[in-house]
Amino acid sequence: MASALAFESVTKRYRNGVVALDGASWSIPVGARTCLLGPNGAGKSTAIRLLEGALRPTSGSVTLLETTPDAPDYPAARRRTGIVPQSPGMYADLSTDDYLTLVRRLYGRGDVARVIEAFGLAPYRRTMLAQLSGGFRRRLLLAAALLSEPEVLLLDEPTVGLDPVAAHDVHAFLATAMRGRTTLLCTHNLAEAEALCDDVVILRAGRVLLHEPLAELRARVAPRLRVRARQPVASLVAALARRGLAADIDGDAAIVSVEARGAAPDLLRALLGEGIDVFEATPLEPSLEQLFLDVVRS
Amino acid sequence: MRILLGKELGQLGRSRAALVSATLIPLLLLVVVPIPQLIAFSKAPINFPELPGGGPPGLQSLRGADFFVQLLYPLLVTVCGMIVPSLAASYTIVSERERRTLELLVALPVRLTEILFAKLLSILILGVVVTVPLFAITATVVVILGVAPAAQVALLLVPLLSAVVCSTCLSLLLTLLARDFRTANNVNGILFFPVLTVTVTVLGGVGGSARFVVLGVVLLAIGAAALVAGARWITFERYLE
Repeated sequence: MASALAFESVTKRYRNGVVALDGASWSIPVGARTCLLGPNGAGKSTAIRLLEGALRPTSGSVTLLETTPDAPDYPAARRRTGIVPQSPGMYADLSTDDYLTLVRRLYGRGDVARVIEAFGLAPYRRTMLAQLSGGFRRRLLLAAALLSEPEVLLLDEPTVGLDPVAAHDVHAFLATAMRGRTTLLCTHNLAEAEALCDDVVILRAGRVLLHEPLAELRARVAPRLRVRARQPVASLVAALARRGLAADIDGDAAIVSVEARGAAPDLLRALLGEGIDVFEATPLEPSLEQLFLDVVRS
Repeated sequence: MRILLGKELGQLGRSRAALVSATLIPLLLLVVVPIPQLIAFSKAPINFPELPGGGPPGLQSLRGADFFVQLLYPLLVTVCGMIVPSLAASYTIVSERERRTLELLVALPVRLTEILFAKLLSILILGVVVTVPLFAITATVVVILGVAPAAQVALLLVPLLSAVVCSTCLSLLLTLLARDFRTANNVNGILFFPVLTVTVTVLGGVGGSARFVVLGVVLLAIGAAALVAGARWITFERYLE
């Protein structure tokens, strides 16, 4: 399948010597919705900046819609790409209407009235950008990114700094906007990534630690059981330890990893056989947060 | 480019602070200060004492109102042509960098060269639109008072327009060097001083009306050098820092 965007052995060293990307290689096929995860300083925003052409790689190559930032057809590729930057400054002398009109003219297409309606910006058409609240600023940025109906969406921390209500609104807009579009979502919010993306790229110190579908990642992780018994949790943990299983304590329950889901009945039978009165065993779906921590810590 | 130029001109037009600064100082330098002096020079010509050895070519044989037309007014015109673009650049280029609104533009399908070229062109247009009409007022008074022929006065447009172009090109260096408004003002002062020295040297060192052409050429050369140096060094990475 053709790549919508690709990094090939990309290293980006800033002028102050900081290496943001270190030989990173990854690509996203057309139509994929991928989240870019990583701790602070992992190189996520640098990756977005390289794709938007604002930065040049120190070595390696970055490709957007099969063209590179130095190629003559790159501006055309950029016009097929919508970008939501991370918390930019806002003009005090441009209104919502002025800005969206500017965006439409630069992209050469788009229906300003439609996105104003879709993102609930109608009451703020004449409001200066700097006077918009955090939530409406983010809506405006999304509206601008989607105005030209782009094929590719690059989202750099689209909900960072928003209150839960505003973040929920933005998630709802994103869920609709990302449907059928190649999307790269750069985020710290693992729940957001889990809800909106199918694939995950995890960066750490500028290197790609992992790039695979979320479902495969989940399948690789040992299933976990949340077990409760009538006896004190310490007795339960001790019984698990006697069978070579380390458990975490969560309130009055023990959380334990098993080799496979099929192993759970044998474990429960063994615990009951030892006199541990198990009355609850719930399989736990590994959260992206857990997967992320496992990968980063390893 | 045309779209971004429209944006820049629109924003400059809406910026009261930029417009007031860019108009008030030229009004003082091109009209309020020179016209009373011009009238005084024309009514009571002052003859300066001869300099030892006749002095440099630009200062020889300057009598009465000639001193105003050949030396004082060209100096004011050049200074004014330098000031207007540098003030406008502080508002359009540096404030965009300081307020991080550039991040909004970077997310749109535009190149850095287009963004900067639009900004420089808007500064150039503002410089011409503000200074030329004000210059025309004083120039008309000069001609009406019969202090100098119209052709000689019109020649003063050469240093004026060259100064506007030179200062606009120097704004590109300002873009690289200044990250905030205060630094921009300091850098403007640093860039301004050598140009002022060159201007005084040329006006005093070259005789006759040729001084205006020589000054124009020198200013354009300084501007071209600034443009080449700026274009060579500026990147989005440096601009976004």
